[in-house]
Amino acid sequence: MMCDECGIREAKFHLTTIKNDERSERRLCPVCMAKYQKQLPGLDFTDLAGIINNMLSNIRGSREEAQETEAWSELICEQCGTTYAEFRKSGMVGCANCYSAFREPLDSLLQRIHGNTQHTGRIPGAVRKGVSLRMNIDRLREQLNKAVAQEEYEQAAKLRDAIRTLTAQLNNADANGDIKVRPHQRLDSQFGEGGENHV
Amino acid sequence: MSDYVQAPEQDVVISSRVRLSRNYDDLPFSPKLTREYAEEVIDRTADAVFNGKNGDAYTLFRMSDMEQDARARLVEHHLISYDLLKYVNRSAAMISSAGTITVMLNEEDHVRFQGMLPGLQLERSADMAIRLDDQVSAQYPFAFDSQLGYLTAYPANVGTGMRCSVVMHLPALASAGQIGTVMQAVAKLGLTIRGLYGDGSEARGHLYQVSNQATLGRSEEDVVHSLAAAVEQIVEHERTMRENAEKKDMLSLQDRLLRSWGELMYARIMPIDEFMRRYSDIRYAASMGYLHAPLPGLDVIMMDVQPGSLGVRAGKLIGEREAEILRAKTLREELGKLVMD
Ligand SMILES: [Zn+2]
Ligand SMILES: [Zn+2]
Repeated sequence: MMCDECGIREAKFHLTTIKNDERSERRLCPVCMAKYQKQLPGLDFTDLAGIINNMLSNIRGSREEAQETEAWSELICEQCGTTYAEFRKSGMVGCANCYSAFREPLDSLLQRIHGNTQHTGRIPGAVRKGVSLRMNIDRLREQLNKAVAQEEYEQAAKLRDAIRTLTAQLNNADANGDIKVRPHQRLDSQFGEGGENHV
Repeated sequence: MSDYVQAPEQDVVISSRVRLSRNYDDLPFSPKLTREYAEEVIDRTADAVFNGKNGDAYTLFRMSDMEQDARARLVEHHLISYDLLKYVNRSAAMISSAGTITVMLNEEDHVRFQGMLPGLQLERSADMAIRLDDQVSAQYPFAFDSQLGYLTAYPANVGTGMRCSVVMHLPALASAGQIGTVMQAVAKLGLTIRGLYGDGSEARGHLYQVSNQATLGRSEEDVVHSLAAAVEQIVEHERTMRENAEKKDMLSLQDRLLRSWGELMYARIMPIDEFMRRYSDIRYAASMGYLHAPLPGLDVIMMDVQPGSLGVRAGKLIGEREAEILRAKTLREELGKLVMD
């Protein structure tokens, strides 16, 4: 399959652009793809953005209270300045703190994408202090009690597995003694201006 | 010829790859990443990788410094992702001399560690990526949340930030029209399968990529093992189909597949689409023992005659016709060497 742009090289990319809800697709070779990128530095190449956008719309649509949705549109990340509208448009967050700033819409989104909202995988050495793990286990136990009380057994089983995994990690971390504490370095307060310089 | 060692399940599995997405917790993510911060990402990672174990095995490539064909070549050899080229102005890659480990910088996430090995070797690929992740994060912490795990620019990657994929060669399943069935089966396991180049039964070279979807709520081990188990099943299925085809009419099968060897050895002009079809045939033939050519060697040649790699070989920008001629010439030489013994 040849490139839609030059017709001489093999197409390697699916370029999907979404502008004003209008979707266009082109197949491009790496050379033309690079040219495109130079011409339109702000262009969003990812299909994922569109998917996430749709997901958020669906979540919104299913919401009973329009007010809540309106409240979301007010959300903004104080660390990096990303607004909810920006997040919706690109499907990307602007920094680690965005996950706190957009917690509520993200929770529904994550549940949809992953069928889960609790990490059960590896934990970086610096975080293996145990403290955050223990707190997390406690929080999960609370949720477990609630799930059992409400007879949501499927959810309860999931939570029980998550607790088991975290407990094992906690025991491992303690046993290995590899509990390194390294304070997180944050830049003073915000990420600085930046605006113009985006790559 | 004996340079090539056969990897596990290589008759059906071309390669295994594991990618871990990470972001420095004190730097803005992709949408807010200025040039200055992008440089900081490169500096930190290069510092931790170069000064770590086997540090001098790595080479840093800035995408903006490279010719277009050279970048395309890296994509064709799966050393970097297509997506890295969406951000050529800021992106870079550190590639190990063996080509088994790549650190992609300033793609959708600050850092993506990639381990890649031939055949079905997911666990080892994951180990390589994880070891390097540990090495870098010991010096510069990555954004991590005890509930959400590793934080990524796209919420679709949070949790382990791990994407595992296995490239499979499924000519017998494809010609029996069974790819759809396989797709449905893997979807139930939370996995996806798609054509490596093009989709469905039209997938070029009958190459398919099987990957995990969700990254949140399952451990790395769990994901690696369940993907490997699913791949093993597809491998068995493909082998059965190949045996059936042989039982049905071995002479016709050999005749059909080996004719492609003749075309590849004698053609003077070889378009990419035709090449991928013929490559699939000779790989199939070699896996059945009809042709004594090492599979890893065939796979390397396949990547070497893709358009960008040919451009690098030519040393200049070449048009389609020139590429087809150079492809035919390269194939004659390289395939000839491969079977000489
Ligand atoms: Zn082109
Ligand atoms: Zn933010």
